[in-house]
Amino acid sequence: MRHAGTIAGRELRSLFVSPVAYAVLTLWALLGAFFFLSTLVQFQEILLRMQQFQMFDQLRQMNLNDALIEPFFQTMWVFFLIGVPAVTMHLFTADKANRTEELLLTSPATIWDIVVGKYLAAAGFMVLMVALLGFFPGLLFAFGDPEVGKTWAGLLGMVLVALAYAAIGLFASSVTSNQIIAFFLALMLIVLFLLLSLIGDLGAASGFFGMGESVAGVMRWLATAEHFSRLTQGLVETRDLVYFAFIIGVFLLLTKASVESVRWR
Amino acid sequence: MIEARGLSKRYGDLLAVDDVSFVVQEGEVVGFLGPNGAGKTTTMRMLTGYLPPSDGTAVIGDADIFEQPIAARRAVGYLPETPPLYPEMDVQGFLRFVARLHDVPRREIRDAVDRALERCGLADVRRRVIGALSKGYRQRVGVAQAIVHAPPVLVLDEPTVGLDPIQIREIRGLIAELAAPRDGEPAHTVVLSTHILPEVEAICQRVILINRGRKVVDRPLAELTADGARLEDVFARATARDADAEEAEA
Ligand SMILES: Nc1ncnc2c1ncn2[C@@H]1O[C@H](COP(=O)(O)OP(=O)(O)OP(=O)(O)O)[C@@H](O)[C@H]1O
Ligand SMILES: [Mg+2]
Repeated sequence: MRHAGTIAGRELRSLFVSPVAYAVLTLWALLGAFFFLSTLVQFQEILLRMQQFQMFDQLRQMNLNDALIEPFFQTMWVFFLIGVPAVTMHLFTADKANRTEELLLTSPATIWDIVVGKYLAAAGFMVLMVALLGFFPGLLFAFGDPEVGKTWAGLLGMVLVALAYAAIGLFASSVTSNQIIAFFLALMLIVLFLLLSLIGDLGAASGFFGMGESVAGVMRWLATAEHFSRLTQGLVETRDLVYFAFIIGVFLLLTKASVESVRWR
Repeated sequence: MIEARGLSKRYGDLLAVDDVSFVVQEGEVVGFLGPNGAGKTTTMRMLTGYLPPSDGTAVIGDADIFEQPIAARRAVGYLPETPPLYPEMDVQGFLRFVARLHDVPRREIRDAVDRALERCGLADVRRRVIGALSKGYRQRVGVAQAIVHAPPVLVLDEPTVGLDPIQIREIRGLIAELAAPRDGEPAHTVVLSTHILPEVEAICQRVILINRGRKVVDRPLAELTADGARLEDVFARATARDADAEEAEA
């Protein structure tokens, strides 16, 4: 596993001399600032209107977590759909272009070391992105009193969803030698996971392909949104943590199999 | 030190390497010859663990490439046909990475990198970004990454391609020196492929010639050129026709 650390360090250093890393981080910060402000403005408008119409019950229920931080995270999550594949697309494709694949695969590092090393680099970048985002809700603590636990749960949700997407992106970069194809394949897989619950619902309702309620149930479980939403609502539940661990594990194993298959072809 | 046992590689219908066996002794420098597409690179890829053989196996040191793949890979320094380089890294950063990847102890990395830089004439460009180097310098970095961890076995696929005459002489000198070191260091075992026949005459003790995936010549250089024969003629005869090839093998 020491080799994984060596490979992760190299990947991270290479990522930070590439324009992609800075472009993604800059865009991410700008989008974060923009949507944070617009959510804040909306929040204040709602407050104002509630006061105007003397809706004191609702007003008492308004809080920063549910009305501001949660929608903010839900919005920013959408940008992971593009941001994460942009960061992961080069992970294996670059090694094919540079022929460094041959260096890695003939070194004492195992394929698992290589896969985990590259994943750790991507994961590190994802944590950095979410930490950057944490700055905005952090501001609220200076002016109001959001719940600490709920805010952390939301950030955890953001990290986990980014880590899951990074595993998907890593896999996509391992099956092709073209960065652009890797990008779109990752995007497609991520969207597929979003739509799974919809497909499950449709299938169960129409009985399409003889899809029973149990298959539909599995598809709904595999869909990302519900697990993510519970975390942004401040609910940290084991079943959702298991879900993200499952997605990450499956895609790392798929990546390993895909790298191995190159040798056996 | 290196033993190939019936190595074969099949790409779909094409039998790129066909039942190739040979033994390379410790400290020996063997020249791997053959026309384009003969199967030299494919054979080297199997020896280094990049490609699994379709049939047969190889033993590096004491390690079988199937049974102890990590030990086998650890013993080899490999310069592939296209030098494997990260263009965005600087030369010494890259060599440090390769040294670490090959388990050079942390304390020895600096010395190992310095020695490889010096041996390959790279000391002046150690801080340059690899992508900005000329082709010959990139080739030198390729050689440096193969020797940086001082492996007992070197597999070099056309090591002097693209180098200037001075550097060719230096790399040849380096290979000879690695195979028979003066200062009591352990001798390296070297397999190198090349299309430059004088190179073989300059540094190799033995010639293995393959044609269309099959080994057709495996003899000491001295024997091949004993009666004043030119290596070029040996090469031409061995690769001229399959019938001739069979004869040369027998
Ligand atoms: N990945 C591959 N898929 C299919 N065929 C391949 C592949 N790699 C090599 N070959 C074929 O295998 C044969 C041997 O190729 P190889 O690269 O080993 O030759 P070589 O002796 O190194 O030639 P050269 O002197 O040109 O470097 C060739 O016919 C080549 O087309
Ligand atoms: Mg070749």
